[in-house]
Amino acid sequence: MRPPFSLPRRALLLATLSAPALLTAGPAAAAANVAESFVDENIHKGLDILRDKKLSITQRRDQFETLLLGLVDVRRIGLFTLGQYRRTAPPEDVEAFLNAFKNYATAAYQSYFARYTNQTLKVTGSTQRSPTDFIVQTQLIDPSSSQQPSEVDFRVRTDTGKPVLVDVAYQGIWLSLEERDQFVAFLGQNNGNVRTLIAHLSELAVNLGKPTQ
Amino acid sequence: MRGVRGLFLGLSALALAGCATGPASPEALAANDPYEQANRDMLKFNGKIDKYVVIPTVGLYFILVPEGGRRGVHNFLGNLSLPTIFVNDMLQGELSRAGKSMWRLTINSTIGLGGFFDPASKIGVSGHGEDFGQTLAVWGVKEGPYLVLPFLGPSNPRDAAGLMVDAAMDPTNQIPLKQHIWWSAGREYFTLLDLRAQTYQTIQGIQRSSVDYYSSLRSLYRQLRNEQIRNGRKQGQDLPDF
Repeated sequence: MRPPFSLPRRALLLATLSAPALLTAGPAAAAANVAESFVDENIHKGLDILRDKKLSITQRRDQFETLLLGLVDVRRIGLFTLGQYRRTAPPEDVEAFLNAFKNYATAAYQSYFARYTNQTLKVTGSTQRSPTDFIVQTQLIDPSSSQQPSEVDFRVRTDTGKPVLVDVAYQGIWLSLEERDQFVAFLGQNNGNVRTLIAHLSELAVNLGKPTQ
Repeated sequence: MRGVRGLFLGLSALALAGCATGPASPEALAANDPYEQANRDMLKFNGKIDKYVVIPTVGLYFILVPEGGRRGVHNFLGNLSLPTIFVNDMLQGELSRAGKSMWRLTINSTIGLGGFFDPASKIGVSGHGEDFGQTLAVWGVKEGPYLVLPFLGPSNPRDAAGLMVDAAMDPTNQIPLKQHIWWSAGREYFTLLDLRAQTYQTIQGIQRSSVDYYSSLRSLYRQLRNEQIRNGRKQGQDLPDF
């Protein structure tokens, strides 16, 4: 015959054994939820701005830029895209590059997202790469098309406690990786001269801000 | 995929041999692109073909063929590729995907009137791509240096070899047609037209926002191929730390 305290003791033992797992899984799951909510709320805000027909072109650009600069760690991305030239370029050139990159990235992001304003974004899950590095998976659904939804992933870092966006991938193609490959190749073709890249980025930012023909 | 591609691949080998230039830069070597200068020249050549031959025809294609017709052509070409996709699914051990490919081929070739319509997608049997270059990658073959092929664009030795194997296993190339070259060239031409019509805006966007269009394409091609080889699975995705 079983002693009357058998069940509570087992429950206690189970709870004791599973406690470390719960303690580690709890914050990880919560952090993943934070990353998912961050993407869900803010990408919708961004798409809403781009969809708002009442805004003038300048108002739309300014509002989108303000939102974007609050969400994206432009400095971290900019330094990454410089590749090995980050270490060899003069510090003042790196700072000037980061400023030019901010303008270019804002114009480029606005140009990319403006193509999808008639579509809806749905968060489908997330993957944790490290305690502060998450990939949030989403689907971009075009209500007017019978085609399969496009997969868009957002890389979110939470190193400072506040989530920030560091990269975005469309159908598995990461934007920051592509930018780094371009910038490093461009610098290789131009004797590593970061100022040439700055001039080129500034010109592109202006062109991207113009309406398409 | 088809016979005409063999000719292009032969031409590309000749072109690379002819364009052999001085030693590659450290950046080119680091990017696994030792033939960078020859590749850049080939991209310029392809760009001229695109600008003066392909794009004007794409314009005519848009004017002369209504959207429904263009969709039909797209579906038909996709259906022709399904036997090759099925074989590659099997060679990769992807039995579930192979089953889907076979289902699509059966449904679309019959109810879809030879593949012009896509009723399979409407009942949830969606399509996917697969080729022998991807099969080689799944078997562990490395991609090799980056190449830009004449007319065909970004590639590498593994994917170029894959194209030839796909051409050899394509059932339509076994049909003993007297004028087989016309069938092959016609199919190739419409594939190019369909692809360019579908990617017109995307490529325009890349050209407009690129600091260096050549290296942008190289990066996009490699990332896209890796995604295709993984079949969209997120696990194993190798991302750098920021």
